Parts: sequence; C-alpha cells; structure tokens
Amino acid sequence: MVEQLLQSLSRFLPETTLTVALCSTVVVSLFLGRKSQATLFVALAGLVLATWFSFDQMGVSETIFSGMVAVDPFSVFFKLLVGLSAILILLFSLYSSEVQSTLHRAGEYSALILAMALGMFLMAGASNLLMMVLAIELTSLSSYILAGYTREASDSSEASLKYIIYGAVSTGVMLYGISILYGLTGATDFYGINRALTEESVNSVALLVSIIMILVGFGYKISAVPFHFWTPDVYEGAPITITAFLSVASKAAGFALMMRFFKVSFIDANAVGLPTGVWTSLQGFEWNKIVAILSVLTMTLGNLVAVWQNNLKRLLAYSSIAHAGYMLMGVVVLSDKGLAAVLIYFMVYLFMNLGAFYVVMLVANKTGSEDIDSYKGLGHRSPLVSVAMVIFFISLAGLPPTAGFIGKLFLFAALLDATWIWLAVVGALNSVVSLYYYVRVVRNMFLRDPEGNAEPILFSTPQLAIVMLLLLPTLFFGLFYSPMVELANASVMMFGIR
Amino acid sequence: MYELLHDLLGDSLLVYVIGAALPLLFVLPFAVVAVLLEMKVSAHMQDRVAYMYTGWHGVLQPVADILKLLQKEDTVPAAADKFLFRLAPFLVFMGGYAGFAALPFSSAYIGSNIDLGVFYILAVSSLAVIGLMMSGWASNNKWSLFGAMRSVAQIISYEIPSALSILVAVMIVGSLNLQEVSKFQEGGIQNWIVFGGPMPLLQKLLLLPFTITAFFILFLAGIAEVNRTPFDLPEAESELVQGYNTEYSGMKFAIFYLAEFANMFLVSGIVVSLYLGGWTSPFGDVMSGPIWSFFWFVAKGMFFVFLQVWIRWTLPRLRVDQLMYTSWKVLTPFLFVCIFAVGLILVL
Amino acid sequence: MILESIVFYSLAVASVGSALLMVTRRNPVIAALYLILNFFCLAGLYLTLQAQFIAVIHILVYAGAIMVLFLFVIMLLNLGDERKLSDAISPRKIIAGGLSLALLLELLSIFVTGTEGLPEYNADQALQVGTVEYIGKQLFTKFLFPFEVTSILLLAAIIGAILLAKKKPD
Repeated sequence: MVEQLLQSLSRFLPETTLTVALCSTVVVSLFLGRKSQATLFVALAGLVLATWFSFDQMGVSETIFSGMVAVDPFSVFFKLLVGLSAILILLFSLYSSEVQSTLHRAGEYSALILAMALGMFLMAGASNLLMMVLAIELTSLSSYILAGYTREASDSSEASLKYIIYGAVSTGVMLYGISILYGLTGATDFYGINRALTEESVNSVALLVSIIMILVGFGYKISAVPFHFWTPDVYEGAPITITAFLSVASKAAGFALMMRFFKVSFIDANAVGLPTGVWTSLQGFEWNKIVAILSVLTMTLGNLVAVWQNNLKRLLAYSSIAHAGYMLMGVVVLSDKGLAAVLIYFMVYLFMNLGAFYVVMLVANKTGSEDIDSYKGLGHRSPLVSVAMVIFFISLAGLPPTAGFIGKLFLFAALLDATWIWLAVVGALNSVVSLYYYVRVVRNMFLRDPEGNAEPILFSTPQLAIVMLLLLPTLFFGLFYSPMVELANASVMMFGIR
Repeated sequence: MYELLHDLLGDSLLVYVIGAALPLLFVLPFAVVAVLLEMKVSAHMQDRVAYMYTGWHGVLQPVADILKLLQKEDTVPAAADKFLFRLAPFLVFMGGYAGFAALPFSSAYIGSNIDLGVFYILAVSSLAVIGLMMSGWASNNKWSLFGAMRSVAQIISYEIPSALSILVAVMIVGSLNLQEVSKFQEGGIQNWIVFGGPMPLLQKLLLLPFTITAFFILFLAGIAEVNRTPFDLPEAESELVQGYNTEYSGMKFAIFYLAEFANMFLVSGIVVSLYLGGWTSPFGDVMSGPIWSFFWFVAKGMFFVFLQVWIRWTLPRLRVDQLMYTSWKVLTPFLFVCIFAVGLILVL
Repeated sequence: MILESIVFYSLAVASVGSALLMVTRRNPVIAALYLILNFFCLAGLYLTLQAQFIAVIHILVYAGAIMVLFLFVIMLLNLGDERKLSDAISPRKIIAGGLSLALLLELLSIFVTGTEGLPEYNADQALQVGTVEYIGKQLFTKFLFPFEVTSILLLAAIIGAILLAKKKPD
C-alpha cells in the first residue's frame, strides 16, 4: 500500500507543487505584509513549476492512487492548457487595476487561483466519480469566491451569489445522477462502470435519467444552454482576470472531464469492424444525440443573444457560450478526430479569448468602462491595441488567416467525416451570426469618431508585450498549424482505451 | 444488560422499554442530590448555611422544591408557538439522557454496548442544541432568542475541542466504546489514560504532557457545553433575564434543570471514562468487581460534579468574545498539537 | 422481524411526511425543524441497514451542525413568512412543475421496474461495511487520496470564508 502511494506521489508532482504553492501563498502573505505583490509571484512560480512538471509527464499513461486519477496524454494536455492560462491570468493580474487596487487581499487572491488551478488539474485527470465531484467542487468553490472578489462592487457580490446558487443546484442534480449510476453499476470508477455496463444490461430509462442529470453538472461547468444563466452575470460582475480564467480554463477542465467520463464509461470495448479512431457507445445508448441537441441550443442562443449586448464583457460571455457550443460538436461525433478537433480548438481559444479579455481589461483600466460606446474611436487613440483586438475578434469569428479558422476547420472536418451534415450547417450559420457582433465592435473602434476625450491612450511596454505574447500565436498557428495538430492527435490517447 | 433482560422477559418490546428506562433510576435521584449539593456548596463558599429547616440541615429541601414546582401553574405565553414551546424542554432532556445509554456505569452494566460509544454520545447531544434553539425561538421573546443563540454558538464551538480531546484518548485505546476504554485502563491509578495509560514507561512519559492537556481541555469544554459558569452566557441574568428558559415555569422549567444536571453528570462520566479509568479501581485489583466498579464510577463522577459546582461559585463569567477566543484560538490549536504528538508517539 | 418492519415503516412514513411538510411550510424556522426531523428519520433508516457510522455522522454533521447553523442564520435574519416572497402562478412555474413531475415519474418508474440486473451484496458484507473500523480502513487506504483532496477543498473554503467575512481592509 505504502509503496503504491509513494509510486503514485511521484506521478503527482504537478499537483503536489500546486498544493505546496497554495500553502506557501498563505504563509507568505502572513509574513511579508499584506500590501505586496509577493504572493502573486509565489503563485506564478508555483504555476510555472507545475506546468513544467506536467510537461515532463508527456507520454506517461497510467492511473494513480488506486485508480482515482489518470495520468495520460489527455490529462497532461489539459494540465498544460490550464497551467498556461493560469500563468497568463497571473500576468494579467499584475496589470489589472481591479487586482492592484485590492492588494491587501492579494494573498487570498493568489491562493484561490492556485486552488482553482489545482481543481482543474484534478478535473483533467479524474477517472472516478468521487474524484470527479471533488475536483469540480474544488474548482467551483474557489471560483464562487473569486467571482465576488471585488466585494465593494455590488454587481460582483450579485455575481458570486448567482454563481453559488446555480452551482449548488447543478451539483446537487449531478450527485443525484451519480447516485443512480452507482446504484445501477456498483462502481465509482469510470472503467468499472464501463465493465459493469458491458457485462450486463441495465434499465435503460434509469441510465438515461442518470446521464441527463450528470450532464446538468457538466453543462453548468462549460456553460452550455440551458444551464448557462449564471454566465453573463458572473462574467460581467467578476474581475476581468477571473472572467478570462473562467471562460478558458474552467471550460477546458469541464470539457476534459466530460469527454473522459463519456468516452471511458460508455465506449463499447467489444465493438468490431470500426476504423481506427472511431468508437461507438454501449448498448446502442446514444448519449451523443443529447449532446448534439445541447450543442445546437448552446451556440444558437449564445450567438443570437450576443448580438444585443452593449457591454463588452457580457458580449464576450455570450460569445464564450457560443464557443462551448462549437466545441460540443466535436464531442458528438464519437471519434478521435472529433476529440482532437476539440483539443485544437481549445489551444486556439486559449490565445484568442484571453487576448480579447486582456485588451478589454487594458482599456477598462484607462477608460473605466466596458461599454461598446466607449470603444468609439479607439483605433485612433490606441492603434496597436485596437489592431490586436481586431485580430482576436477575427480569430474568434473563425476567419482566415487566423488560428480561429484552423480550429473551426478541424471541427467541421470531423463532423463531415462522421456525416453529421445538419449539425455542421447549423455551426456554419452560427459563425456568420457571430461575425456580425464582432464587427460591430470593430466598426466602433475604427469607423466612429471618439466621443469627448480623444487623447491617445498609452500602455507600458510589459503590457504591450503580453498583448504580443497572445497575438503572435493567434496569427502564427493560423499559418503553421501542423505542430498544433500533431500535439492534439498525440493527446487524445486516454489510459486503458485503445 | 439486554441479554439479562432477554433471558428474564423473552423477546418483547418490554425489554427495550425497561432497558431504556434504567438510567432514569440513576438520573432522578442524582438530580435531587445535585440540587442540594449545588445549594450547600455555594452557601458555604459564601459563608452562609443555606436551607436548614426541611429535615436535618435541609436535606429534604430539594424534595420540597420539586413538590412546589409540580403544583405551580404551567404558563405558556400567548404569542408562543405552543407545540414547539412544549416540546423543547423534553428534547433538551432527551439529548442528555440518550447519552447515558453509552456510559459504562460498571464493569457489568452499560446501557448499550455499541461500537460507536462516545461518538454516539456526541451525536445525540446535538438533540439538546436543537431543543435549546426551539425553546428560545418558540418563546417569542427576544431575551430567550438571544440566550438560545448564544448557547448554540457556544455549544457548537466547544463541540470541536471536546471532540478533539476525546479523539486523543480514543487514539491511545483504539476503540470508541467506553466500556472498552475503561477496560483498557484496568490495573490501578497508574494505568489511567490521563497518566499515559498502560504503556511502556518511556512512551508513557512522552504521552503524559499531552494526555494531561487533553484531559483538562475536555473537562473545560464539557463545562462550556453544559452552559455553566464561567461559560453560562446563555443565562447571563444581568443581560438576558434568564436566557432561553425565561418564559418557562412549573414542570417544564424543572425539566430544563433536570437536563442541566443530567448533562453535568454525563460530561463528568465522559471525562472519567476516557481519562480517569472509568469504573476501574485506583488500587488495581483491590476493591474491584461489578458493585465496587459502580461505586468508583459514581464517586469519580460526583467528584467532577462537585468540581463543576466549585468552579461555578468561584469564577466570574466570561465575555462572549473571550469565550469564542478560548475555544477557537487556544483550545483547538493546543489539541491539534496534542493529536499530532500522540499519533507520532503511538507510531514510534 | 415484526419489530423491524414496524420500525422501518414508521421511519419511512415519518421521513417522507417530514420532507413534504418541510417543503410546504411557510415559516422558514418550522421548515428547517422538519428537515431536522427528516434527518433523524434517515439516520434511523441507516441504522436499520446496519450502517451505524453513517447514521451517527449524519446526525452529528447534518442535524447537529449544519442544520443548527441554518436555524441560527434564519433566526438571525428574522425572516418572516415566505408568503411575501412568493409570487402568483406564472408560466415559468407551470413549466418547472411539469418538468419536475416528469422527472418524478421517471424516477418512480426506475424504482419500480429497474431492480433487475443490479449488483447484489450479501448480508455479512453489509454488516461489516457499516462499522467504524471498516470505514476508517477504506478511508485511509483506497480512498486516501480523495480524503486529502477534501482537506484542500476545506482549506480553500476557509480562505474564501475569511475573504468574504472580513469587513474592512487592514
């Protein structure tokens, strides 16, 4: 037992690092005074190390801690994604006026970001229902609090409260679903569920109800319609850094967990005659049809409502809902190609979405507003940042030559490959709608004259460097996408699944 | 115990009823004695003599008091929630009384010999908390409500140190069953857990500071959980009239008192069973056996009841913030250290 | 055997009844008290299944700590009748009611028909599973890792609670 634990611990280095960093931030904020950025740097160091250790785990494929957590290329990929976005978020925080004006709480801020990252790392690897719930709870709990971090603002508290209530209800429903699933199969680990379902047939109504209930939990985490109600309010009320983190990392971790849960638990291991990389679900149980419906609802509603938004944070919130819808299409097709497409999309989404949020943050720092009207004439006041924003938006809309185009291309290719034509058509139509509201912002920036104050807005060199850090990959991967595709193809491998 | 009753009466409901009622045989006379003890001790501490007329030195006074309370009018406030108001005192008593089931009175008698033992006592005592809350709320009187809230905040806070200090003893013994815990300490005073238990000498010496700390904290937290001075903020008469039982009169008021005395003995019983050898004789095999063990248990228990009375008439009341400070910032951290150290010593 | 079924059925009726009363009472304090009653009934049901540890922990944690804090907060806020908060029947309510009813029917159908093919456990196993020793052993071997993760979860929660509760910056 002890040897096994020690063995597991050695494979658990990234998470251990995060835990140590979490405790260090608490201690450091205790001793180094409360008015310093020291804790932010401690957290940053912890995250960089954790990401580096995850990078080291590439190519490993095993489960640790009695099958609680899987360390495989799939989880490593998402750990890298989460780690990278958390690092970027902490860099943002160094220049965010919201965080800098509340430095006396920086210790708690960094500790909770680390806790959230740890929760997401665990979500990426969880291969047991128990771990799944715990990881989701760790992530959610930290994000509830961070959403209400700027407590002085009443919309921040409202956001936090809404988030908690929706979160509690959806977790409750999910737990009920889990209890039914456990009752049906007698197993809590995904592989055990799969074995139990393969060996004997269970009541299909019960299975369906439990899966729908579990989907509520996932849907909440990735803000899929109709579990998205919290998203706009939380995204608007939370500090921008947290909004950006939630929109990328939290979603990525949710997708990782969902894909692992569905693929491992409901794959038909005995299916024959399928081409490599294509799999089928058990007992003709077509959960992917439910996901397809969710996907259509999610992207359509996200895009249509985004059109009416005048607050840029809300607009990006609805756009992120729509993007979750696109990515769900990749889950529907039941093939490694579909999963790889989702992974590619996430890599792209990381840069373009964080970039858009970062620009919004920089502008809000200077103008104090996130309103679309305040972007009028921004192109003349701050050309470099405005151009960067345009590129991020073009990428979000999925136009060439940006990385966003590549992401969409692979998604649609996977769909067409699996002959889900109607879904691909809906997705394409949605992209057109999305173009409209992105262009609205661009129009305000370049084709409208500034209202009132028209002085140029200047940004410091490190701030611009971070913009470049996000802008270059967005452009680069639009042209040279093969490394990204190779990484994604190598990363769809999950432990124990051929 | 149940086996005996089973043999006598066969498998019938009566067995359970009698089994459940047995501790009452102890609790009711005990309450009478405790009332007298409280009055006499307090009086002598203040250079008074207390009751002198009813019987020799007033020994019959508690009986007279009970008769008086029985005859009193049982008033219920018009705006009270009648049902909850009536239910509350019984719940409070039940919380304490249910705990007696797992208390080993003698080597031959324990109400229910369940594995969970002291853990069960902790759980059922929460019934009393709910009862207190109910009484405070149902009275529809703000002093009652404040009293109830204070007592609940206090009991919940002090449940943590008391549970942790119980854990220290449980870790040493390896069982939650208080009968097992008592058996573990057989063989004289040097084997009591407060003195390190029946361990090899070195281990015993290492354990000693931690077990003594845990023992004191358990007793302290126990007093707080019974809401007695210096922790009797819920009944702080200068601020809150009489706290949660302000509106109660007659028999219901008496039941609150009965519950308090039952709890006093329960707390002492837990302390004695866990740290002071329970029913075991301090002289090893001398004066042991079922009857003697009952004597030892009650004697030790009564000593701690006396101690509680003594403390009550010696120390002034704490402030609310001091009360919370003591629990969270002093007792709990100390116990964390104790648990960690004891665990380490036991492993070595 | 008769005694057992008496206990089971009375607890079952009491738990369902108290749950219904909890949902329908207007006064939040009364509702919370019914929920506590419900927890006690559930703990009793656990006992009939030989799960002593779960029963005791259920009372200790839920009835004894969490619900008491609930009551505490309700009394502190001095909430009146819920009637003020409730609104008239709206289409949204009807839809929600319909969905809930559908879910209820589905669940009922599961519990009525879905017992075939379920994994089976024998009585000895069940007897053993309920004890403190067994749970302790499992918790510190097979489930050690989730146990530790829970502690980090609690740490994050404590940090959050301090963050939210602290009144003024120091």
